[in-house]
Amino acid sequence: MRVPLSKVFVLASRDYIHEWQMSFCFVLALAAVLGPMMVLFGLKFGIVGAMVDQLIEDPGNREIRPVSSGRFDRTWLESVRKRSDVAFLVPRTRSIAATIELGSEGSSRHVRAELIPSDEGDPMLSPQGERPEGVTRIVLSRSAAEKLQVEVGDTLDGSLARQYRGHKERVHLPLTVAAVAPARAFSRDGAFVSVSLLEALEDFRDGRAVPRMGWDGDGEKNARTYPSFRLYARSIYDVAGLRDAFAKLGVDVKTHAADIELVQRMNRNLTAIYWVIAVIGLFGFSLSLGASLWANVDRKRKELSVLRLVGFRTMDIAWFPMVQALYTAIFGWALAVGLYQAVASVINEMMASQLIEGQQVCRLLLHHYGIALGLTCASAVIAAGLAGLRSAHIEPSASLRDL
Amino acid sequence: MSHSFADSWGLLVFGTWHHNMNTSDSSPSQSRGALVYYVRDVVKTREAEGVAFRLKVPSLQIAMGEKIALVGESGCGKSTLLDILAFILKPSSVGAFRFRPERDGEPLDMDAYWRSGKLNQLGDLRKRYLGYVMQTGGLLPYLTVRENMDLCRSVLGLKHDGTIEHLAEQLGIVKHLNKLPDALSTGERQRVAIGRALAHRPSIVIADEPTASLDPYAAQKIMSHFMDLVEELNITVILASHAWRHIKELGLRRLHHRTVRSTDTNLTETIVSG
Ligand SMILES: Nc1ncnc2c1ncn2[C@@H]1O[C@H](COP(=O)(O)OP(=O)(O)OP(=O)(O)O)[C@@H](O)[C@H]1O
Ligand SMILES: [Mg+2]
Repeated sequence: MRVPLSKVFVLASRDYIHEWQMSFCFVLALAAVLGPMMVLFGLKFGIVGAMVDQLIEDPGNREIRPVSSGRFDRTWLESVRKRSDVAFLVPRTRSIAATIELGSEGSSRHVRAELIPSDEGDPMLSPQGERPEGVTRIVLSRSAAEKLQVEVGDTLDGSLARQYRGHKERVHLPLTVAAVAPARAFSRDGAFVSVSLLEALEDFRDGRAVPRMGWDGDGEKNARTYPSFRLYARSIYDVAGLRDAFAKLGVDVKTHAADIELVQRMNRNLTAIYWVIAVIGLFGFSLSLGASLWANVDRKRKELSVLRLVGFRTMDIAWFPMVQALYTAIFGWALAVGLYQAVASVINEMMASQLIEGQQVCRLLLHHYGIALGLTCASAVIAAGLAGLRSAHIEPSASLRDL
Repeated sequence: MSHSFADSWGLLVFGTWHHNMNTSDSSPSQSRGALVYYVRDVVKTREAEGVAFRLKVPSLQIAMGEKIALVGESGCGKSTLLDILAFILKPSSVGAFRFRPERDGEPLDMDAYWRSGKLNQLGDLRKRYLGYVMQTGGLLPYLTVRENMDLCRSVLGLKHDGTIEHLAEQLGIVKHLNKLPDALSTGERQRVAIGRALAHRPSIVIADEPTASLDPYAAQKIMSHFMDLVEELNITVILASHAWRHIKELGLRRLHHRTVRSTDTNLTETIVSG
């Protein structure tokens, strides 16, 4: 025959409200600990987040390029491309051979464009835009497009020359502008083209025949190898792993792993510092709440023994400090959230000029609020547990006649 | 009432005790048939700072519907006995301690409850069958008068049926029902406490000097209200008081006791029987 929990809950609530001044002090004390902690975490999360955002935003940070040229064949490259931490891989032809003269009708200028091998899923190109395709469709870099004064759909005249059997030879090929790459993709004059076009141009320069283009030469190339490749890791966090994997294969690569690791290390260190502060803060709060709840049991000894007298059970009584501690936790958390949001909006306002649109220095995700509430409730429950045990042991006879 | 410790008071006590059998509705034969309390050789020893107090109850029987008064000077052990009878104080040693709240139920062995530490079951018995009026209020400051009076009822899950209002009317505190106890005078609080002890229609009401903090006139008035109510509800009453004068007119059976103070061993002993 237990007292219904709802009854215990109502009584504990009434007591909490009746002593609202005392309760408010507890709530304030909690918010004073939790609020700054949330601001601190928001700052850490926001600053590290912004740095990570910047790293992620530029796909160039995911690039891995061999330092010196090697001899990579198709099967080897294919096996690397199939790795789960590799997002994109295309072979590079010799860079000496990877240029072309471009001319357009709209402009008298001729542009010498560097050619970058590309393919489906090139992270440097905008995901919605057209890809370079076959031997005619290419993606121009912004600067090349401006110099040539062309737009998407325009045709260009591509030409290249070679020294062949003692005399100079020049071929022309019609090219179509499939798209213009974003400015950050390539800052110089250049064009993203298919690997097959690059292979054709390299063969032409080497004096070989390229029958599919109708170019004459000394027979076809059979076993092709590539001196280099364009590789992008799936995420910035895969870069270091890939670098090490290449080192094992004897391929020296250049990466942005150091930048990424710096941010990661900073994140780790800040997180560690933050948790030390948070644990000390919550422990302190737990201790102070526990102490005051413990003292409360003494203060309310008579009232609790009255409840004991009218038949409240041990467990019913133990719920009292528990319910009240949870109230403190929830209200204190709510106040801390309000405090945090006020401070965060001021900080973000102050920093707005130094940040990209929509970025925030002080920022929390929804689940961070949840974690804060969970931790607070947990420490409150631990604090109340001891007081609860103590209040459960109140003997009605011993304290009824106090006062 | 001061005797030297050398008296062989175990025998003496039985010889000097007399019962008041002139109480209203409980003839001895009836009472033997429906005993609420049956107590034999219960002892409670309390000690603090080398000063000891011992309460002895060689034999005590309280019948259903009886109105008992425990009258004696301060410190003679009235509250100690009431607390034992209300199951909130554990006796030091027990010959027999049986409680039969229902007229045709089995008597319960309270000593067994105490020995096995079933405090929650003792609480359940209090909740169900006992009303307790304390010397000073004992009201919860965060509940209104109405809620305070309703406490025992609501804990038992009893519905609102006008009992509280009826009681409040008889105790003259209707206009205070929605106030907090803080806003009441001591006498009014005491009436609320009486109301609370009666509201769930317990079979027994134990009152420990319910009017001790009031002036004689108010005490008289509240006590007569109280007696009317318990009479109306046919409740067994055990009342402690240090002034017999008021009690006599209310028609209670007086429980006699003897207090012995020894000068050399710092022991005070009270023997109660009835
Ligand atoms: N918690 C305790 N520990 C030790 N001794 C106690 C304790 N409570 C009471 N006593 C002693 O027990 C004796 C009886 O106390 P009790 O409270 O039963 O007296 P009382 O008859 O109710 O007195 P009053 O009329 O003043 O209320 C007293 O002498 C007191 O000193
Ligand atoms: Mg007393």
